Amino acid sequence: MNCPICKKDVDFGDAGFPFCSERCRVIDLANWATGKYAIPAEPLEPEHPEPEDD
Amino acid sequence: MANDGGVAQSEVYDSSSIKVLEGLEAVRLRPAMYIGSTGEIGLHHLVYEVVDNSVDEALAGYATEVNVTIHDDNSVTVVDNGRGIPVDLHEEEGISAAQVVMTMLHAGGKFDNKSYKVSGGLHGVGVSCVNALSEHLELEIWRDGYTWQQEYACGIPKAPLAKAGKVSRKTGTRVTFKPDSTIMQVLTFNFDTLAQRLRELAFLNKGLKITLADERSDPEKQQEFCYTGGIAEFIKHLNRGKAVLHEKPIHCEADRELPNSAGTLTMEVALQYNDGYSENVFSFANNINTVDGGTHLTGFRTALTRTINKFGQDQGLFKDVKENLTGDDVREGLTAVVSVKVPQPQFEGQTKGKLNSDIAGFMTQFVNEKLEEYFDKNSTVGRKIVGKAIEAARAREAARHARDLTRRKGALESGGMPHKLADCQEKDPDRCELFLVEGESAGGTAKQGRDRRFQAILPLKGKILNVEKARYDKMLGHEEIRAMITALGTGIGKDDFDATRIRYGKIIIMTDADVDGSHIRTLLLTFFFRHMNELILRGHVYIAQPPLYRIKKGKSEKYIKDEKEFTREIMRRATENLRLEIHSTGNGATPKAVLEGAELRAYLLNLDEYEQMFHKVQRRLRDPRVVETLANIELHVDHKAEFQDEANLKPIFETLKKLGLNPEMRRDEEHSAYGVTFHDSTNAERTVGLALAAQPEYRRFRTLARTIGKFNEPPFVVVKNEHRESLPNWEELLNHVKAEGKKDASVQRYKGLGEMNAEQLAETTMNPEKRTLLQVRLEDAVESEEIFSTLMGEDVESRRKFIEDNALDVKNLDV
Repeated sequence: MNCPICKKDVDFGDAGFPFCSERCRVIDLANWATGKYAIPAEPLEPEHPEPEDD
Repeated sequence: MANDGGVAQSEVYDSSSIKVLEGLEAVRLRPAMYIGSTGEIGLHHLVYEVVDNSVDEALAGYATEVNVTIHDDNSVTVVDNGRGIPVDLHEEEGISAAQVVMTMLHAGGKFDNKSYKVSGGLHGVGVSCVNALSEHLELEIWRDGYTWQQEYACGIPKAPLAKAGKVSRKTGTRVTFKPDSTIMQVLTFNFDTLAQRLRELAFLNKGLKITLADERSDPEKQQEFCYTGGIAEFIKHLNRGKAVLHEKPIHCEADRELPNSAGTLTMEVALQYNDGYSENVFSFANNINTVDGGTHLTGFRTALTRTINKFGQDQGLFKDVKENLTGDDVREGLTAVVSVKVPQPQFEGQTKGKLNSDIAGFMTQFVNEKLEEYFDKNSTVGRKIVGKAIEAARAREAARHARDLTRRKGALESGGMPHKLADCQEKDPDRCELFLVEGESAGGTAKQGRDRRFQAILPLKGKILNVEKARYDKMLGHEEIRAMITALGTGIGKDDFDATRIRYGKIIIMTDADVDGSHIRTLLLTFFFRHMNELILRGHVYIAQPPLYRIKKGKSEKYIKDEKEFTREIMRRATENLRLEIHSTGNGATPKAVLEGAELRAYLLNLDEYEQMFHKVQRRLRDPRVVETLANIELHVDHKAEFQDEANLKPIFETLKKLGLNPEMRRDEEHSAYGVTFHDSTNAERTVGLALAAQPEYRRFRTLARTIGKFNEPPFVVVKNEHRESLPNWEELLNHVKAEGKKDASVQRYKGLGEMNAEQLAETTMNPEKRTLLQVRLEDAVESEEIFSTLMGEDVESRRKFIEDNALDVKNLDV
């Protein structure tokens, strides 16, 4: 499969799998930390209001 | 001038040598002080000292070649074709100049300031140290038409320097020495170690030819080093096998006159970037590898950072960058060689690994000027280098965020654990379970319903982001991820993650059975896969299976986990006491067929799936009447070949015509096939043809049409407790049976975990005695990763399609 960050080929046995390098792993972790990974949600319905923030 | 005063000096030799001998005796007493060690490093330094003398001749422009030979007995010969060490009488010492060089410490430097503008010498102690530490040394000089020879033992001359023969025009020096086995702990030379340093010297001294031969091996090992490209070639050598950002190394050199007539400073820099992340910079002062850097390196670094930042600013490349690039940023992937030649260099430290001469300002000015000039002419390379440095700056920023995520304690923690975590009492991880629950309210319910002895609850709230006006995105916030990592106890990252420190044997993801829930699950699984995949491999990660329905009748209640099971259950209830009669014509007294029990259930389940497929095909054709037409099992519209015969499509054409759809029979030239095209209610073109026939839902629809076709002859008569009811078509039949199945029962469909009370949630999803859990295998996580990548990907089309397909499936669930 491909490294989630730089898309280089990685094999299951590689150190740091599924990342190609420690750098890509750190970039990915930072993406989680800074909320870069957002996935589509269902549109908000009026009867199901959720607060915008923590 | 030629001086044959060797004999004449013999009288003064004894007396004047006392001081000299005292000096060399000091070297023999404390060898490490002079050559670093008596081990491998010191042994090789002996060769470098002798070679450095020859290289000095090359630097002064007299020698072009240096030959080094390791002999069978681990003695070494160094020959150069320089001027030859002066042989005339040294006025101060009263002995031959050559002997002064060979026997007096620091003689090389003192010897003649005008001879060498710059001089190397590894420790500045000169060849006399080598002499002192050699059990035998033989010196031969070719100069002024004669060959001169002298031999030493442990630094003591056996006789004064003497003429040994004549030469025509040959000049140069040969030194053969054998290290003293009573002092040196290592006596065997390493070919590769010597080769590496000699290669380095050849790079640093453009055009100088250095050879190395090893007579100990058979056949004799030999290497030659000569580089006309100098340190630019050195860079290529260092970057061999690496992908470089720009093909040609950047190379610049310049001379500057030092103030106070201190001589000329020669500066040379070569650099090239590769696609790696490490910095590989070598600095040299007078050929000495200054491993601890110094003023020349500082000057270079300052200029590099300044020039790259200036170029990036001028070109407007820093729009997305918050602050200036740092030195570390601009040196990622950098291979560089900085070489200076300074008259009377000042070094720091015992190993002289750091240059102290006050030249940083010259260096900065020189590199600024040359590099700026280079970028002006080669802006493409400049942009690539800036791009790489920006990437490094981002990675640095990323590392800061990542560290932030894993720092030990935070505001939201008490006793090291997140506030939101409702921990369990049990401490043995194998017996503990952690539920990662979607949403605060379901988290609250789970906290009430759990068995607090061994079940812990961590509610995770998906944060809603209004990305665009019409779209909402969901993510796990920083604090959610942080709380999860802390609760799990494994740490995270290359050095910190340790799966054996896990605080719970089972990590159970519990999300709603809707699209948001599946997305949160995808997020969590992707996170585990990427950063904690050992937990998956060790079988720690599970998915809870909350029910989708509750069917309650009287005192009995049943929880159903998915749509398929729900339909089965409804059909089972409906057919308990029901019979279906098929009458081929009207209400004849004798039915054509009677279905009941298992056979009836199978028929109804097929009919239910048929209905689903019917709707799916209808989504493509937008007209139920056309789909109904295609349900005719007499038609030959399944295989590719059947579409190539116009006659097979004729009946469809005719039916659509009767329906007033104004169909057209069209030839699909590309596939030599026919299709029937009509316009739907929005006037969009729709075609019954090969493309439709290739769709899985169409194929399944046709298969099911054949399966149910045998009994698809309305009206249907449903008989229950002698009560008969006639139904005009299969849709009515299906509705009637489903209603029958739900009769007298209360059916609840759970849209989220929050709709269950604590007891229900515990009973159905959390209680180990009653629940089912799905263990996450690596394949499942890989699948999540793929879904996630599609959702995150830049391929807008596949993202759109994925969301659309997913949305369709959810609509089905809601039927």
